[in-house]
Amino acid sequence: MDTKSTPPPRPHQIPNPSRPDFLACWAAASPSKPMLAFHFLRALSRIHGVTTVRRRTRTIRRAAYSSMARAASPRRAWSRALLGQARARRSRTLTGRAVLLRRRRVTAAAPPQPSSPASRSATIIAARGEISTAAARPLPPRQEGEPPRADALRRLVPGGAGMEYCSLLEETADYLRSLRAQVQLMQGLIDLFSCQ
Amino acid sequence: MSSRRSRSRQSGSSRITDEQISDLVSKLQDLLPEARLRSNDRMPSSRVLQETCNYIRSLHREVDDLSERLSELLATSDMSSAQAAIIRSLLM
Repeated sequence: MDTKSTPPPRPHQIPNPSRPDFLACWAAASPSKPMLAFHFLRALSRIHGVTTVRRRTRTIRRAAYSSMARAASPRRAWSRALLGQARARRSRTLTGRAVLLRRRRVTAAAPPQPSSPASRSATIIAARGEISTAAARPLPPRQEGEPPRADALRRLVPGGAGMEYCSLLEETADYLRSLRAQVQLMQGLIDLFSCQ
Repeated sequence: MSSRRSRSRQSGSSRITDEQISDLVSKLQDLLPEARLRSNDRMPSSRVLQETCNYIRSLHREVDDLSERLSELLATSDMSSAQAAIIRSLLM
């Protein structure tokens, strides 16, 4: 073994997409803390100029969720759902025709998802101003063996309404990890600010 | 449970097995804050889902509360010096 500072990676350490546990490794990886901090701090630094406390609170909260979604892998459905909600909220200020054009562009450019009709209706309903994805739309028929509590979970996890039960559990775990990291980040920032 | 047995008999085409689901549920249980207090014994999945919902709701509330405190702090403190301090602490 040579004594260089960066030894060449051994072949079995390079993530190989054909290996069956590749996805498992990626799925189990915790959210990257520096990326989370980068996105959140960048969003915070754009806030200057908003004067009222309530509006700033709302902006900070939205920046928290958007930066959380950006730091996560775009493979995650909750991340795409959060960013779609943020986009729809911004497009609410546009006129009707511009909203239609943007909606068509968004659904054409979105990666093919397993439950595409549900996600398209989710985008449309999100563009109408619904923050929660499943509030105005009947939930998909409950799958076999799925406990009744899963409905509440679908409402809580962004983008959870159109998923199968299995992916819902996975997305929930990843969403929980990211949420916890985001809360820790914000708590750390507050401690840092209040110590000055 | 008889329902689970009958389901597995007819789930020849579905790739999702009960073991996969219970594996995911136990992963969720490990994420919950009370998982360290308990003996890591398997809770019933309905209880895991219930606790997960409560935990997510409490985290949402905490995000709201922290954003409010952050917004108050940002109003009073000087942004540029705070940013420099943060970046310094992140890099070192």
